[in-house]
Amino acid sequence: MRLPALARTTHKWLALIIAIQAVFWTVSGLYMAAIHIDIIHGDRLVRPAPAPPLAIAGLLEPAHLAHLAPGLRSAQLETQVGRPVYVVDAEGGKALFDARTGEKLSPLGEAAARARAQALFAETGRVVSAELLTTSRPTEIQSRPLPLWRVEFEGAWRPTFYISPLTGELVARRHDLWRAYDFLWMFHIMDYEARSDVNNPLIRVATWMAFAASLTGAWLLLYSFRRRRRPKAA
Amino acid sequence: MFLIRTLHKWFGLVLGLQLLIWALSGAVMALVDHQKVAGEHAVLPVAQLTYGPSPAPLAVVQAPLGAPLVKLELKPLFDRWAYQVTTADGAVRLLDADTGRPFAVDAALARTLATARYAGAAPVESVKLVEGSTYETRKMARPVWRVAYADGEHTALFVSRATGEVLGAKTDASRLWDIAWMFHIMDYTARESFNHPLIVTVACGVAWLALSGLILLFGSFRRADVAWLIAPFERRAARRVQDPR
Repeated sequence: MRLPALARTTHKWLALIIAIQAVFWTVSGLYMAAIHIDIIHGDRLVRPAPAPPLAIAGLLEPAHLAHLAPGLRSAQLETQVGRPVYVVDAEGGKALFDARTGEKLSPLGEAAARARAQALFAETGRVVSAELLTTSRPTEIQSRPLPLWRVEFEGAWRPTFYISPLTGELVARRHDLWRAYDFLWMFHIMDYEARSDVNNPLIRVATWMAFAASLTGAWLLLYSFRRRRRPKAA
Repeated sequence: MFLIRTLHKWFGLVLGLQLLIWALSGAVMALVDHQKVAGEHAVLPVAQLTYGPSPAPLAVVQAPLGAPLVKLELKPLFDRWAYQVTTADGAVRLLDADTGRPFAVDAALARTLATARYAGAAPVESVKLVEGSTYETRKMARPVWRVAYADGEHTALFVSRATGEVLGAKTDASRLWDIAWMFHIMDYTARESFNHPLIVTVACGVAWLALSGLILLFGSFRRADVAWLIAPFERRAARRVQDPR
């Protein structure tokens, strides 16, 4: 077989296998490049709240935490929705205490979860639904430990906050642009189950095939352009 | 088809090199184990202390600080309980939780804190303070101590000077991945952003290159190309016509 024909044949056959994936890669890559990652992360959904100074007079002393939470691993004194609180990690798991009274606030009930979510939300939409997830989680928070409150708002792209009932913290924020990104990411890394394994055998083979297909394409370019002869003036 | 073929050819000529680079850098990133890239295998989990804290009162903590307290953490730090204090001016510092006395994470302490979390057995090669953004530290809160180990992967652990936390580890796998990442996102200086006009423009063109290639496939295969595949079936069919039983 002559070289140009060999180049054409190999390019054609490699492309037959990889072309659809190449379209997936470039289109998903284009989406990731075109929409800024800060928008995808939902930074604008969260109201920026500088931490207010703590008035320490009358607060529960850290030395008392050992009684409230035996087997203390770590603790954190901070302000949550205007109230000083201790977020505690101990043998019995994580918990939240009112730093003024020592009252245990966790696990947060639905009203508290809704109030927190609304206070953190930077847009004007109201809470549409609040649901406590205890056993099964949606794909969009696959790596986060349960339980979690899932609080959805009205507004563009279905903004959703995930709030820990144990610590009161905003654990994740999601919206449809993020969900689309995650869906396209699945195609980009070819992990159709967990959407997280970037080293799966399929993508390892496919990327080298794509490399070979583009390399044979470059080879084929050598034979694809002909110098056009100008017709001689009579 | 002629128009699409011409476009495919010209887009390939102009943008094909970037497609080649994307495929190659993607292949490298897929090949290098991501756990090694993230340095997870090189860092041990935080060890818990065998005794509980007897932490100093809040007034003792607040007294030496110039600014009001906004956040206070009580945490184990290698061999003692520590307070990590954030003040309203944004400064973060460490106090001994029992005495309330401030202490700094100096080179010697950074070395101790890193080695307590280091999963390997190799000796420390160097301890350096990194204040600026480097390829290794661009995502970390700086300044950080870079504690390098004399192992085969050239592991380095990074210890925050403000908090004493191990912020991460870098190995040769991370550095190789980082170079592939730079070519993949076309940010050749900071290696950080994949949202810039150059990559969006090129991605549009290369998306068309891929799509036009896919369209061209429909006109690219002749019967002769697949003869080896269909010949046995055709022969059987022909035999059946000649000799219908």
